[in-house]
Amino acid sequence: MTDFLSAMAAFWATPVGWTVLTLVHVLVISVILLICIAFILLADRKIWASAQLRKGPNVVGPFGMLQTFADLMKFVFKEIIVPAGADKFVFILAPLLSTVLAMGGWAVIPFAPGWVISNINVGILYLFAVSSLGVYGIIMGGWASNSKYPFLGGLRSAAQMVSYEVSIGFVIITVILLSGSMNLATIIEKQAGGFWNWNVFGGSEGGWWHLIATVVMFPMMVVFFISALAETNRPPFDLPEAESELVAGYQVEYSSTPFLLFFLAEYVNIVLMCAMISILFFGGWQAPWPTPYLQHWWPFWVSAHGFVMMGVKILFWFFMFAMVKAIVPRYRYDQLMRLGWKIFLPTSLVAVAAIAAWRVFGPVNGVYG
Amino acid sequence: MMPSNLLQIAAPELILAIGALALLVLGAFRGNRSTLLVSILAGLVLIGAAAAAAVAPLGPIFRGGFVSDEVSRFSKVAIYLMSSVALLLGERWLNRLRAGQFEYPVLILLAALGMGMMVSAGDLISLYIGVELQSLALYVLTAFRRDDGKASEAALKYFVLGALSSGILLYGASLIYGFAGSTRFVDIAHAVHTTAAPVVLIGLVFLACGLAFKVSAAPFHMWTPDVYEGAPTPVVAFIAAAPKLAAMVLFARALLEGFPDAIDQWRQVIMTIALISMAVGALAGLVQKNLKRLLAYSSILNIGYALMALSTGTQLGLQAMLVFMVLYMIDSTGAFATLAALSRDGKPMETVGDFAGLSQERPTLAIVLTVLSLSLLGLPPLSGFWGKFYVFKAALAAGQWQIAVFGLVASVPAAFYYLRIIKTMWFDAPAGRTDTPAPDAQAVAVAAGLWSLPLVLVGLAFLDPLAALAARAFGLS
Amino acid sequence: MDLLAIAFYLLALVACVSAFMVVIARNPVHSVLFLILTFFSSAGLFVLLGAEFLAMLLVVVYVGAVAVLFLFVVMMLDVDFGSLRQGFVRYLPAGGVVALVLVVEMSLVAAAIAGKNATLRAPSTNGVSNVEQIGRVLYTDYFYFFQAAGMVLLVAMIGAIVLTLRHKPGVKRQDIAAQTARTEASGLRLTKPATGQGISE
Repeated sequence: MTDFLSAMAAFWATPVGWTVLTLVHVLVISVILLICIAFILLADRKIWASAQLRKGPNVVGPFGMLQTFADLMKFVFKEIIVPAGADKFVFILAPLLSTVLAMGGWAVIPFAPGWVISNINVGILYLFAVSSLGVYGIIMGGWASNSKYPFLGGLRSAAQMVSYEVSIGFVIITVILLSGSMNLATIIEKQAGGFWNWNVFGGSEGGWWHLIATVVMFPMMVVFFISALAETNRPPFDLPEAESELVAGYQVEYSSTPFLLFFLAEYVNIVLMCAMISILFFGGWQAPWPTPYLQHWWPFWVSAHGFVMMGVKILFWFFMFAMVKAIVPRYRYDQLMRLGWKIFLPTSLVAVAAIAAWRVFGPVNGVYG
Repeated sequence: MMPSNLLQIAAPELILAIGALALLVLGAFRGNRSTLLVSILAGLVLIGAAAAAAVAPLGPIFRGGFVSDEVSRFSKVAIYLMSSVALLLGERWLNRLRAGQFEYPVLILLAALGMGMMVSAGDLISLYIGVELQSLALYVLTAFRRDDGKASEAALKYFVLGALSSGILLYGASLIYGFAGSTRFVDIAHAVHTTAAPVVLIGLVFLACGLAFKVSAAPFHMWTPDVYEGAPTPVVAFIAAAPKLAAMVLFARALLEGFPDAIDQWRQVIMTIALISMAVGALAGLVQKNLKRLLAYSSILNIGYALMALSTGTQLGLQAMLVFMVLYMIDSTGAFATLAALSRDGKPMETVGDFAGLSQERPTLAIVLTVLSLSLLGLPPLSGFWGKFYVFKAALAAGQWQIAVFGLVASVPAAFYYLRIIKTMWFDAPAGRTDTPAPDAQAVAVAAGLWSLPLVLVGLAFLDPLAALAARAFGLS
Repeated sequence: MDLLAIAFYLLALVACVSAFMVVIARNPVHSVLFLILTFFSSAGLFVLLGAEFLAMLLVVVYVGAVAVLFLFVVMMLDVDFGSLRQGFVRYLPAGGVVALVLVVEMSLVAAAIAGKNATLRAPSTNGVSNVEQIGRVLYTDYFYFFQAAGMVLLVAMIGAIVLTLRHKPGVKRQDIAAQTARTEASGLRLTKPATGQGISE
């Protein structure tokens, strides 16, 4: 038995074994993620329905639990229609690209201590890069459809996502400055010891003085949340697919599986944003209370404990996404641009300067002192 | 290096940068109502920067990226003062055409900042960034009257060709860096001293071509006549003066500090460019009808003389170049100020024919333009003569009598086109009534004219030792 | 063969092929898409070199921002590349000469470097992370250039605004501050019109 185990360990260390192991990781996370998305989608519809005093999906399965799977079947078995004059290759490539990029972001998300596919040093930048690439799926789909509404939707989306990425970038910089690291696991570890040590409350360094930084970090969290809404084309910023103006924007011409892929990518991205906000501001896998008891637990149970904490936080933020969709009316396009460039950009720029000054002149001085 | 000392050395540039940013904010909040206020403050900032440059301590800072020495001190004072003259000319001129915006003084300040960085560049990177900062500001200033088709065309030509030349410059710089392994002039000189590989000479040629474009030396002069013709006259007065001095000093620094051991090689390049510039400037100017184009060719010709001084590679040559450029800057600014002052029925007077009989209509300006033309021609004892005198003396002292003779020959056809202007003004029948000259532009023109005739004799007594001191900076023989 | 070598050859191949396709693609949008693929593969090469920060910057800046705007413009302009390609054969000799000169010069530089026994190697990190090292160089050694480059960008921005921003008179704009500052007194007028007369303005 031990011989077999050591032989396996040796195999995992070889290039082939490493590849196989990573692929298995990827597969496991993708499958779990997709199943979760199925229920999250249902939750979205249920929350929306409740806000409007409706019942929502309740026919397929108990409480409509299997509705998403029924939708999946419906989409998969329909015919893929490519419009005449469309650029067929780009048309099919666009939804694939969207989905691949959305799923790719999860490669660096640490779900629990040690539970991450790739713990790279610049994880936060990787997430930022991947989310900034998401715009390609939409703009390519909009162009390749060879039709006015999708094209307008694609252009709107490109402008919108590029605008809000700027403020997301600055918000991320404030977090990087506060944590002194771009590694997501390190960022989470620094927020240990209770909810008052989370980045939204100024991080853990500098004794109780760190709570002063809440004045900057809490608004930054709000900016991040709103920009995440815009970045994922969620209401109230769903202008690329505004049905009253553009029918359905960039996805007008899509049907069946390609449409499903766009749809899936959107939700994977939303949950990714929820995970990001949990990690950057709310301590990721850290419990909201001090956890000295974890020292005596088996590593697996420590990770499971963290996994639950992370899951709860992601779900909470998804609930917020869903409530915003149910409550807030859609923005007009010029208002959207004004909010992004004239309010969020200066605010987050000032915040970067403030946090940088806080790190150098404040009581923390951990990096430079 | 102590930070306080660092701030003192870079003080003139810091004053300019902070001043430009503050005035930009002021203008952005107060709108175009504040144009006059911003202009006045920008003028004060420039004069303050010139004063700071005159007294700032010397030395290299930022690891050799920024060098402050006697040459940079001399040229900075000249550049900043000339820039404030452009400010004075442009503000009212643009306002009269209802094209005044508060960005004009801010852009002048930023261009001056770029020039200050150019003359202080001790590194290929700061060379490039300085050139780019100055050029970008000039492109925008050229197109400042954005509703004017000719100005937009000129700006586009300037921009496209300028971008091309920047590309050539960068390519040369990357070749040099690839060879020397460093971008600092001192290190490059050391690398060239040990081995002069052919590749570094190729890089040097590219670098020289890029810089020759910036000083508008032939055969890289194509943009000059079009830009001079199209751009607003005060902007041309600016482009024709301070940036030329900055680029020439940068040229000298790059060659003399970066490649002192390759002097035999680059001297040939510079001499060739100088010869072509003199030939093109003298001959092509003959057929010009538009006075601004004519002055463009005149500037190409004069850059040829400046390059002739540079090609000697001696201390005397450098001194001659500095004196020549300063005297030329004043002459050319005066000529453009005259053009800015004159208009007929609200339209600027630009062709030679427009000036017919000006002596009866506006005798003051006619006299000023006559004096400046004669000075550009090089008639003793006007200021232009002294500039050329220094250049020829340096060339002869370096034993380059061939190029000196060519320079003398080239000034013969050039004399013809200057004399033609004078003849038109004094002996032709008047072409019609002109508008009352703008007092500000006229004042600048008269001041330049006065400098050119009597004052230069006194001024040279100060200018000459200062330039001699400045020329000692590179440690030449 | 180890994984790094496989990854290198794969990325290098994709980068070269897609760079070639940028030039020969008939559709300008396809060209831009291939350009993006080139950038992306180059980012992968940076990762292999151990410069993961540069790789991410390449993706964020070039792919995520610059190329999007590029694509944006190309899609809207509807450039007819067929007509642009008309003189291709005519310009081929001149272009070939330029390319040849560039190749010769590049190889001269390469020879000069090789002569110094310098080889391409990953920068030594001394236990300092990639990001921190770039930060140290950029903000201490090259502080002046960094600030000066910022001024260049500022001038470009001022230029773009000066040359294009026009305030058209007579256009109604939404003034949100004024809108929210409206009170009952300023926004509402109560009148009692006499019967049959209406309200006179």
